[in-house]
Amino acid sequence: MTVGEKPVEVGTRPEVLDGPFSTRQLLRIDEALRIADQGTGLVFSVFVGGLDEPTRAHAERLHSQLAEPSRSVLIAISPNQRQLEIITGKEARKRIPDTYAKLAALSMVAAFGGGDLAGGIISGLDQLASHAGKSI
Amino acid sequence: MVFVGIPAVVVLVIAALAFAGDRGGSGGAKRYRPGRPFDFTPVWFLSRPEHLADSAGAALTAGAQAPALTSRKLEEAGTAVPAGGTGGASDRW
Repeated sequence: MTVGEKPVEVGTRPEVLDGPFSTRQLLRIDEALRIADQGTGLVFSVFVGGLDEPTRAHAERLHSQLAEPSRSVLIAISPNQRQLEIITGKEARKRIPDTYAKLAALSMVAAFGGGDLAGGIISGLDQLASHAGKSI
Repeated sequence: MVFVGIPAVVVLVIAALAFAGDRGGSGGAKRYRPGRPFDFTPVWFLSRPEHLADSAGAALTAGAQAPALTSRKLEEAGTAVPAGGTGGASDRW
């Protein structure tokens, strides 16, 4: 089961379609996540919504709720606070050093500043996955 | 007719198309605009929902409010210690 897939009753509109992303953008994000996961062996996830202050601590708590935090990478985006947090687990950090995470963050915020949430997410995932390299 | 009627019709057609385009929703009201309130439901994208530690994550979809935001998880989150050794980056726009 991938993002957006769930047994939806006929005639029920999935909530995700009421979000800021079009169907095409959702499909592209889904594909980017799958490619990043399969290519690196890490677990990538993206959270878009409000983060409590301090945002870094909140993002870390979200990250810790993933099944394998040490192998996981969480991209947390808070559009209202205009804040981006990239959290890498212990193992993931060896593959994606903080310097590269910062580079990906820079390109993501450039897209977000232009109002392109989906584009920033996809380019960020692509950069992080590229730096992580293939799974060993 | 030629100098008034036809240009008027053309103007009306273009105005109607522009108005229809605005209401069509192709990137209009749904789109995120920096500086404007973002009041959409929080979404948590995962390639596979089972990647979420909570068993409730099996039902997580892109549009569902993340289990992390439920009251029980919020209580846990208040005391949960994040996994040590995390890295990454922060930025603003």
